[in-house]
Amino acid sequence: MSFELAFQQALNGLSFGALLFILASGLSLVFGMMDVVNLAHGAFYMLGAYIALSVVQLTGSFWLAMLAAPLALALLGLVIEPLLLRRLRGRHLDQVLLTIGLSLVIVDLIGQLWGREVRSLSAPPGLDGSVTLIGGVYPVYRLFVIAFGVALAAAMAVIYRRTKIGMLIRAGVEDAEMLGALGINTNRLFASTFATGAALAGLAGVIAAPVFGIQPGMDTDPGLLYSLVVVVVGGLGTLSGAVAGSLLVGPADTFGKVLFQDVALAVIFAIVALVLLLKPTGLLGRIRIAR
Amino acid sequence: MRYARWALLALAAAALVTFPYWSAPWESSRFATTVVRDALILAIFALSLDLLVGRAGMPSLGHAAFFGAGAYAAGIAGQRLATDQLPVTLGAAALVAALLALLIGVLVVRSEGIFFLMLTLALAQIVFAIAFQWTALTGGSNGLSGVGRPMIASLDFSAPELIYVLVAVTFLLVAILIWGLVRSPYGRALIGVRENERRMRALGYDTARLRLSAFVLAGTIAGVAGALSAYSTRFVSAQDAGLGNSVRAFVTVLVGGAGSLGGPIAGSALVSLIERIVPSLLPTDLRIAQAILGVVFIVFVLFARQGMVGLGRSAWLRVRR
Amino acid sequence: MIETRELRRAFGGVVALDGVSLTLSEGERRAVIGPNGAGKTTLINILAGEISPTGGSVRLAGQDITRLRPWQRARLGLAHVYQRTELFAPLSARENVALAVAARRGPYRVFRAPPRAEYDEADAVLERVGLGGREGVSVRALSHGERRQLELAVALAQRPRVLLLDEPTAGMSPVETARITDLVAGLDRALTILIVEHDMDVVFRLADRVSVLHEGRVIADGTAAQVRADVRVHDVYLGKAITVA
Repeated sequence: MSFELAFQQALNGLSFGALLFILASGLSLVFGMMDVVNLAHGAFYMLGAYIALSVVQLTGSFWLAMLAAPLALALLGLVIEPLLLRRLRGRHLDQVLLTIGLSLVIVDLIGQLWGREVRSLSAPPGLDGSVTLIGGVYPVYRLFVIAFGVALAAAMAVIYRRTKIGMLIRAGVEDAEMLGALGINTNRLFASTFATGAALAGLAGVIAAPVFGIQPGMDTDPGLLYSLVVVVVGGLGTLSGAVAGSLLVGPADTFGKVLFQDVALAVIFAIVALVLLLKPTGLLGRIRIAR
Repeated sequence: MRYARWALLALAAAALVTFPYWSAPWESSRFATTVVRDALILAIFALSLDLLVGRAGMPSLGHAAFFGAGAYAAGIAGQRLATDQLPVTLGAAALVAALLALLIGVLVVRSEGIFFLMLTLALAQIVFAIAFQWTALTGGSNGLSGVGRPMIASLDFSAPELIYVLVAVTFLLVAILIWGLVRSPYGRALIGVRENERRMRALGYDTARLRLSAFVLAGTIAGVAGALSAYSTRFVSAQDAGLGNSVRAFVTVLVGGAGSLGGPIAGSALVSLIERIVPSLLPTDLRIAQAILGVVFIVFVLFARQGMVGLGRSAWLRVRR
Repeated sequence: MIETRELRRAFGGVVALDGVSLTLSEGERRAVIGPNGAGKTTLINILAGEISPTGGSVRLAGQDITRLRPWQRARLGLAHVYQRTELFAPLSARENVALAVAARRGPYRVFRAPPRAEYDEADAVLERVGLGGREGVSVRALSHGERRQLELAVALAQRPRVLLLDEPTAGMSPVETARITDLVAGLDRALTILIVEHDMDVVFRLADRVSVLHEGRVIADGTAAQVRADVRVHDVYLGKAITVA
């Protein structure tokens, strides 16, 4: 591998990692707070991409799509949590099963409403060009993705550490029931957590669309599978875990595809299995096992 | 009274096996035969998963790996060994699925709950990735076509009625096998593991081995189901080993009722109804069978966690009272 | 019958057991007492194999079992009644005991109903612990006291050589306590019993010998009368033992 190619792949790996962070942070947040592995996360991601597609078709504005899709997903989350998940509070495995059902419904309805063909969304004007970096031509949009991922991580870190909401989140990750005892409205907290997680999935759907395209099956691959891989490798339920997982999985997957081609997918999931076996809570996860 | 019940069951079994023959005068007999055949394959698959989910309390979301492994093994063994003999190809399917289940089982049996679910999902995804990308062996994304016909000696089972009979007889054998397992001391021990693994250990049961044995057994039966599916369609798709298929089996078990013999069977009837019959009742441009299945599943998880069998049982108790 | 040598166990920096050596001869009934945090439950859990010691060894009937898993120890004749009720909730009392009876023959028997003899034996054990007539009742429908009796029945059905009792009377009414104490007192004298208990009446009624655990060490060891007279024990218990005497 030449140096130029290696550099290019490194940038690709980083931008994939940044995308993975946006995708996985929502899953991680919901798990941390609610002890629910949201298996509909990939469906939310897919829905975000298709909503973006429609918004761009209607208004022509990618930026508006980047606002509208997360907002729509947040609203959906605000409906789903109180209506469905709350009824199963404390029954974590059943909540996970419920999200399987949700995923079936959302994915099939997307197919019905938007069709089952492969679609594409181009990068917004200004970011659709490419630049020359160290002897290679590189798409600007991927650099934007990296910048956006870093900015989001930084913003979330500030929220986590500096604000009252962040304090609530950190306390909730430790013991959400405890917050209830302290007089916090856990119903509102869980609903807004789930909505935020859905919004982040929707946001990831928009941002990933110009890179990965929009097609049936995207809910599973990359949607659900890669976000699971990231949070499992990094550790469920913590911001630093999501960051570490993305930084590890993004480049590993990119280089894996270049170096091993056919077996890349197997390699990634083998890493996951290994991490789960050796350290079931992930590399940076908290020790708390939900049954 | 007891004999009457057995006679009734035997009659029902005979009616099931001979379905394509007595339904022949009926206009949609051929379509119905394939629907029932596929429902029975799903029932075998779901019965095997229920051994884990319902009996031993192991919520596997990767069971399609073994279904897929069995399907591929039957197809590939037939092609590579240039034989159509059922004992060879079905034996290969069972063996490969069992070995794969042993390998994955060793890795997963010590974890529980959501972690068991994610670990089985991840490991099954490796199997799917191999099936999808090892084109030379599996046909990759194109799938494996030209699966051989199932033959026992010179008897060819590839005609639609005969493949149906093969599936129905296998289904009955699997149902009897599982009935024999769950009422035996072995089945009781699995329930003990589900309810309180720690106590079982303190009683002198090697629970890790018990769970592993159930995992391998369930994987083997799933492999047989996969092989039957390969014989039926003469085709294996990577999706057979994919997450969607695992989810389908899981939904079938829960909707029907986990931890009972009738549950997975009733579930496969309902799932087949939604997947195969309901679409023909809807306008052709409305393809929402999976969404309906999802809604049904959600309703069961929310309001009837014991599934159709549980609903039936409580309704029966109310009637008797 | 069961013997520990220099057992140590630390959790992080906290030393729960600091060199505990105990020897119980066959048929002996030994109580281990001590204030909360003395290491009693850690000791029982190490004996049962649920946690492993950081140092020292455990022997059962002369055989070193320090590295054996709980199920292997159970096969060698060690039974454990937990402090908290650990039963199979949806099953009936009879089926709970039958699982213990069946454990001796192993689970790998298929295609036949559990033998009649296993249920008969289970019923006999239930009769012995005073649960005759309650065989078909599910665990959920039993009272707390009955569950503790059932726990004892499950342990006895293993036909153990050594019985570990972790606070068998915890949370019981005086009537229930008296009943379980009578039950244990009436057990076969060949059975070796190690009992951890807070209730001093129960301890002095059941135990041949008493070991006092304090901060992970055995600070006194002797017959019930000797321990009762021991000054150090009074210091530890702040006079609690005196009120009993």
